[in-house]
Amino acid sequence: MRDNTLKYLLVLPAIVVVFATAIWPLIEAARLSFTVGRLNRPGSLDQYLGWENYAWAFFEEPAFWNSVWVTAIYTILTVALTTILALGLALLLAPGGRLRSGAQTLLILPFAMSPALIGVSFRFMFNPEFGLFDAFFGALIPPLADVSWLADPNLAFAVVVMADVWGWIPFLTLVLIGGLASVPRDTIEAAQVDGASGWRVFRDVTLPQLGPVLAVVIILKSIFSLKTFDQVFMLTNGGPGTATQTLSHYIYFNGMKYGQIGYSASVAWLMVIPMIFLTYAYAKFVFRKV
Amino acid sequence: MAEVKLKNLTKRWGDFVGVDNQSLNIKDQEFLVLLGPSGCGKTTTMRMIAGLEDPTGGEIWIGDRKVNDDLPKDRDVAMVFQNYGLYPHMTIFDNIAYPLKVRGTPKDETRPRVEKAAEQVELTQFLDRKPKALSGGQRQRVALARAIVRTPKVFLMDEPLSNLDAKLRVTMRAELKHLSRALQITTVYVTHDQIEAMTLADRVAVMKHGIIQQLGTPDEIYNDPANLFVAGFIGSPAMNLINGSVRDGMFVTTGGTRLTKLPTADRARAILGVRADDMSVHEAGQGDIDVTIYAFENTGESTLLTVQWGKQRVIARGDRHLRKEQDDVVGISLDPDHLYLFDPDTEQRIRM
Repeated sequence: MRDNTLKYLLVLPAIVVVFATAIWPLIEAARLSFTVGRLNRPGSLDQYLGWENYAWAFFEEPAFWNSVWVTAIYTILTVALTTILALGLALLLAPGGRLRSGAQTLLILPFAMSPALIGVSFRFMFNPEFGLFDAFFGALIPPLADVSWLADPNLAFAVVVMADVWGWIPFLTLVLIGGLASVPRDTIEAAQVDGASGWRVFRDVTLPQLGPVLAVVIILKSIFSLKTFDQVFMLTNGGPGTATQTLSHYIYFNGMKYGQIGYSASVAWLMVIPMIFLTYAYAKFVFRKV
Repeated sequence: MAEVKLKNLTKRWGDFVGVDNQSLNIKDQEFLVLLGPSGCGKTTTMRMIAGLEDPTGGEIWIGDRKVNDDLPKDRDVAMVFQNYGLYPHMTIFDNIAYPLKVRGTPKDETRPRVEKAAEQVELTQFLDRKPKALSGGQRQRVALARAIVRTPKVFLMDEPLSNLDAKLRVTMRAELKHLSRALQITTVYVTHDQIEAMTLADRVAVMKHGIIQQLGTPDEIYNDPANLFVAGFIGSPAMNLINGSVRDGMFVTTGGTRLTKLPTADRARAILGVRADDMSVHEAGQGDIDVTIYAFENTGESTLLTVQWGKQRVIARGDRHLRKEQDDVVGISLDPDHLYLFDPDTEQRIRM
């Protein structure tokens, strides 16, 4: 009996912390999403509107749909590019070579950088006057010399995607190297002797056995792409115009800059929906019974 | 069908020599067993034939083609792996069909061939299952079926029975032998189990430290070992090796016991080899010498007597009806026609 009490006592602090920092804010945000909730209007945090904030987002706000669109394209592009490039790198680095451990250490560096820092450094590198990349591209491909990367909507978007892919490749590569190591060598060698070419060994034997790890990688990266904020904030601040405004950035803008807490809470809750699906899928793959 | 020729084959990893300048001709349709303790280079030799390992030096010929630079897929060999190497995400049917599929065999031809291979290894009712649902012995059969589904030039088998339990191993051994006689395809078989080697092989190559110690039929390997290593490795229980010398045509143990006549010149140091089966057990006083029993073991089909022979222990096989106790004294005689003499320095056989 005493042991029983003790075990709840021991996890209690953790539960309190999770409740205070995650559960309660979620509930409070849900409540706020049904209020007028304007920071500059006293009492409006308790002024209930019903579903009006949600209706506003869906039917009256093109900027909301813009940020949904930006987030969707951004997620698809970054997940696809990061996964494919990371898989390629993992395949190159997986068989034991001398450079392997050194290369792996170097690889992890971009991941160790804070996303905000990545945003700032990419902004500097693409600066039209003294940017490193800007000069680089200009020297290699002269027609690109006078391009102002962050001023063009499409190019700015490409730069944001590039910065994110760059930052995420290392971690996903490491995960995939681990996944590749768990594919039994026997099966790969059996396929080689059975007459499969390198590509077919990869397609028929390696990839299917890598499936679960690959699924985890894709889901994990999707979650992180969906909630991207800091890089966008530091690199383009959503611009030019709203060309790179992701949902998180849109929520931040409406809530913190315009003081529309109620409205931004409702958009935040709309974002929770895909997150729940992804988290569920993630948990299913990670804790799956083998 | 083809012969396999290894010419001065060498494999080195840094300073470590895996296979040391070995040459070997494997005849067409021959069942050759590479036998040796772990780390002797037998698996490396096989992997080089398969193309899974690049030789450091030497040549590999399959038929009349030098295959050193060919990828595994172009060598037309089939291999059975120790851990079977089945594709876990494919059904048994797809596993067996894979070598045909990657070679672009038409679908209507694939099915009958897979079914025939499955029939040969008695797997027909499992074709829709995944490997996970099968027992070890059944998985082993799938690996075999995958190898025999097409007619390769050479079969390579890397300790295919070593993951099976003892009883199943004996059954599978017989099935393997039956199958290989029926298929008549050149086979290279790697094992550390000398009984498998003796029972399956047309010829055995006994390896140690990357060098083939002796190449011969199971009879030759057993009855005419070339050196101490082969003598000690083949046979169960292992051949007794007794230290001593040869004086006036008699073998004298280190302890001074005059053991048996030997038709050879005197030498100060020698090792006498005698198998447990080539010793006969008598009542005390009726054999060549009397010895005390250190341990008496009844295995059912025979009895094993470990006897104290000066400072050494020697194992003799007795009649299945013999019953003795520890510390009893018995007489032992050696069969003069089945004695082997070795040089303790070179470890080579001294022919008499």
